[in-house]
Amino acid sequence: MEKKKIMIVDDSSFSIALIRDILEQNGYEVVGTAGTLDEVIEVTTNQRPSLVTMDMTLLGTDGFECTKAIHKIDPSIKVIVVSSMMDEEILYEAKKLHIVGYVQKPVDADELIRSIEQVVAVDELFLFLQDHYFAVFKEALMDGMNRMTKSIITYQDEYRCEKEFQSKGYSIIIGVIGKFSGRLLLDLSEETANNIAKKMLRKDTVGRDEVIAALSEFTNIISGNACSTLNRQNQSLGLRVTPPSVLYGEHVLVSAPDYETMTAIAASEYGLLMLNVGFRRGDE
Amino acid sequence: MMDVENVKPFVSAFETVMPQLGFTTVVAKEVTQSTHLELDGVIIIVGLVGSVKGSVVYCMDLESAKRIVSVMMGMPVTQIDEMAQSALSELTNMLTANAATVYTQNGEVVDISTPTLFQGDHVGIKMVTDEIIHIPIEVDGISIAVRVAIA
Repeated sequence: MEKKKIMIVDDSSFSIALIRDILEQNGYEVVGTAGTLDEVIEVTTNQRPSLVTMDMTLLGTDGFECTKAIHKIDPSIKVIVVSSMMDEEILYEAKKLHIVGYVQKPVDADELIRSIEQVVAVDELFLFLQDHYFAVFKEALMDGMNRMTKSIITYQDEYRCEKEFQSKGYSIIIGVIGKFSGRLLLDLSEETANNIAKKMLRKDTVGRDEVIAALSEFTNIISGNACSTLNRQNQSLGLRVTPPSVLYGEHVLVSAPDYETMTAIAASEYGLLMLNVGFRRGDE
Repeated sequence: MMDVENVKPFVSAFETVMPQLGFTTVVAKEVTQSTHLELDGVIIIVGLVGSVKGSVVYCMDLESAKRIVSVMMGMPVTQIDEMAQSALSELTNMLTANAATVYTQNGEVVDISTPTLFQGDHVGIKMVTDEIIHIPIEVDGISIAVRVAIA
């Protein structure tokens, strides 16, 4: 991963020089410095730093106001507070504003670098998850269908889910929690659901309760298997699944969450299955 | 686990979170139990993992949903568009996160999943157990039904 581009916000030229030295000696690029709200907005807009060290007490403004201004321009910019002040109230407010780190002045070089490295590590872990999760979940669904219904699925289509959609009849939802949280949603028509349940239960007729029980277990196994695979690939993810909930009805709208999810449409001999899964970056 | 131990964190969450969003009164009505749900309106599901495993369903009719979002956003909201859905999801996220901290204070470690929002009429829901706790809550006279199922 390329080195972070960093902006230093501080109104003391002494502090700026000190922090700049620490950052540059450790291979980070300082793309700009700012001491007022106007300068913060200007440097953020023009230089697009990926990380900001933020002093709390500034002339005519403060670190919180500047953090809000930065996140208005780009919510993905990470802010670490570097300030002499540190109390419960500041920490509470900092958490609300999604500030990702806190280093007290006088600045200790090791502490500052450690704080930045932690942010970089979380970034890299999320990128790893984003790069791998969809293929792993698709593979888990394929494998699950193969093992539990002795059938082969083929993926017809896949796309980023950005809009709400109408459920085909049954929606099974499982939450995923760990270093990052997200969800898996499996959607299918009543007919497809009945066909799969019949095959899984080896029965010619199935009642609704049996269909729900079969789908719950099916989805639970798929999401559990997928999360285990991801955890094996990178154990820092620590993914776990919530118990399934099953929704059914003729007119059920499923909203797109406000983080990115991916959808895959799978064709099987029992009908179409829709797999929708995604994770939120979140802020620790 | 006794029902009441799974009621308190959610009532407490409403009492803590709603005043921060501009609401003044929170009244918890009598708690009942049901086996399976059929709901109308806006339905939001949040999962729980940890020493308490299960899920929480928040449900309100469309009118109540609009009134809640209006207060949260400080302006009249006439439809449940993307912005309103996001506000309601965030509300349930805050409520469930707050309930999770109450569990934590009692020594239980609970993490929560991201919320998923559904809309519909006569939506059947099967949760993880057949012992679903129903906590009806009124916030400034607006009804929100909370259903908790712990495995």
